[in-house]
Amino acid sequence: MKLHICIKQVPDITAPSSIRNGELVFETDRVVLDAYSASAVEESLVLSEKHGGEVSVVSIGSDKVKETIRKALAMGAENAVHIKTGDTSAFDSSVYARLLAAYFEKNPGFEVILLGKQAQDTDAGLTGSMLAEKLGLPYATNAVGLEFDESAGKMIVTRQGDSGQEIIALPIPCIVTCSNDMNDPRIPNLRGIMQSKKKPVEEISPDDLEISSDELNQMAFTEITGYEPMPERQPGKKLEGEPEELAKQLVDLLQNEAKVL
Amino acid sequence: MSTILTYVAISDGKVKRSSLEVLSRCREVAKENGLKVEAVIIDPDASKYTDQVGTYGPETIYVIEHAIFKNHLNKPLLDALETVVNEANPVLTAFASTEAIKDILGALAMRLNAKALPDVASFELKDGVVEALRPVMAAKLMARTRVKGDRMLVSVRSGSYDLAEVDSQPEVKKLEFSFDESSLKMELRDLVTSSGGGVDLSEAPVVVSGGRGIKDEDGKKLVHDLAELMGGAVGASRAVTESGLFPATAQIGQTGKVVSPQIYFAVGISGAIQHVAGMSNSKVIVAINKDPEAPIFDIATYGLVGDLYKVLPPLIEEVKKAKG
Repeated sequence: MKLHICIKQVPDITAPSSIRNGELVFETDRVVLDAYSASAVEESLVLSEKHGGEVSVVSIGSDKVKETIRKALAMGAENAVHIKTGDTSAFDSSVYARLLAAYFEKNPGFEVILLGKQAQDTDAGLTGSMLAEKLGLPYATNAVGLEFDESAGKMIVTRQGDSGQEIIALPIPCIVTCSNDMNDPRIPNLRGIMQSKKKPVEEISPDDLEISSDELNQMAFTEITGYEPMPERQPGKKLEGEPEELAKQLVDLLQNEAKVL
Repeated sequence: MSTILTYVAISDGKVKRSSLEVLSRCREVAKENGLKVEAVIIDPDASKYTDQVGTYGPETIYVIEHAIFKNHLNKPLLDALETVVNEANPVLTAFASTEAIKDILGALAMRLNAKALPDVASFELKDGVVEALRPVMAAKLMARTRVKGDRMLVSVRSGSYDLAEVDSQPEVKKLEFSFDESSLKMELRDLVTSSGGGVDLSEAPVVVSGGRGIKDEDGKKLVHDLAELMGGAVGASRAVTESGLFPATAQIGQTGKVVSPQIYFAVGISGAIQHVAGMSNSKVIVAINKDPEAPIFDIATYGLVGDLYKVLPPLIEEVKKAKG
């Protein structure tokens, strides 16, 4: 089975950050493999260990993205494609989806394409289904489980839906987007890290995909004009005391103050 | 005159409240911009819901009925939405940000060549520009994001707007829709509903959620008992869905479900930012935690400092009494 994992590099969102004049400033320039992408990589490695196959990663961005590609290779992916662009800060989901679609159209023969269900930086969750629509592939999003049914030749996806978990069979080729609840991504060991340095990384440019840099810079549909802190809820009443007393007070407040009981 | 179209979702035979919140908001936005406000219902029995949806003021309600919509499948829903957008030609189509919509929004945007703003906390339309606030960076902050175009899509987090009913006489238009099931490449093999008593978490009027403070089945039972008594659903923080104590379907937060009930009980939940992102639109938040410094107390309407194992039993008794 051929598995292609589209991975994203994101700022380390756990790093201290602040908003200055509407701009988001992180105190470090540390970048990491997006947690949802990492779950997609992990899941593909488990699948290939079980059923055989080749795990390739695809990522878009400047030279800095190589660091994140190496991480996925160190986890166990065999090879990688780096679609090298300039600064990606103005790229939105539609830019990523159209670049990826152009790559897969030019390199057919893919079977299962995995992505994160969203990315930790934008939390948009659009790229996977955009790519599926562009490529005309069946897809399932928000997967929390993934199996390959060898006898039917189908991918069996467990996805988190509104009223429960939907178990969906998809033919190959198909696209699946992964939740970070799917697994615990492995931490690369020393051997993996050493090997990752020798694994092939093919570098291609948007030009190779017949997308000019002018086109690329005008591709984004959405524009971020600034960042703001999350609106804060005001703390209300804090009650302390004996459990029985707390219970009585709370029921009284819910009935007579908040009027919701 | 151009239109704002709201997709009204039906779940388990009920109109989703979060969709009606969006429709209420769209009526305001349409009025400010001199636009028509319309709605669409896509369901095997869509016509059944037009009276209820009509009380939220759409001028037209499109209905698309087909047996294929019994369970969520992305392709038929996409085809139906494409059909109604081509018919109504709205400048803006608005959705409640449900799992079903998260599943198709990107594909729909690509298919219609539309510009999408997903999962917003608020939005405005002015001079043909939609500007929205979206939680980003794992809900650490909001990004002010804009799109401009003649075809735009926005999905709105539940609890972001209040319901507003109004007198109106909508026109109901039934749209022809056929679906060739043999064109469906995917197959829904099974639907596993959560064990939380069948109350849809994202629509429940009361949610009782357990967190790291719940150590065992006894604690879990207390959470379930309170939820059942309140006619509510059971939620959980990531810590206890990962440990397996609560089902993954119960997870509330930036990576799980977003809920906005009348009362949210956070039981033994510290209040990590990712969890708060999934419940901060709740009307009343009750926190029960033995750590008086837990961040959940910064956002709780009522904070009870105490051991949940000691507080919940008398609380359950008091609620029983109050409910008579």
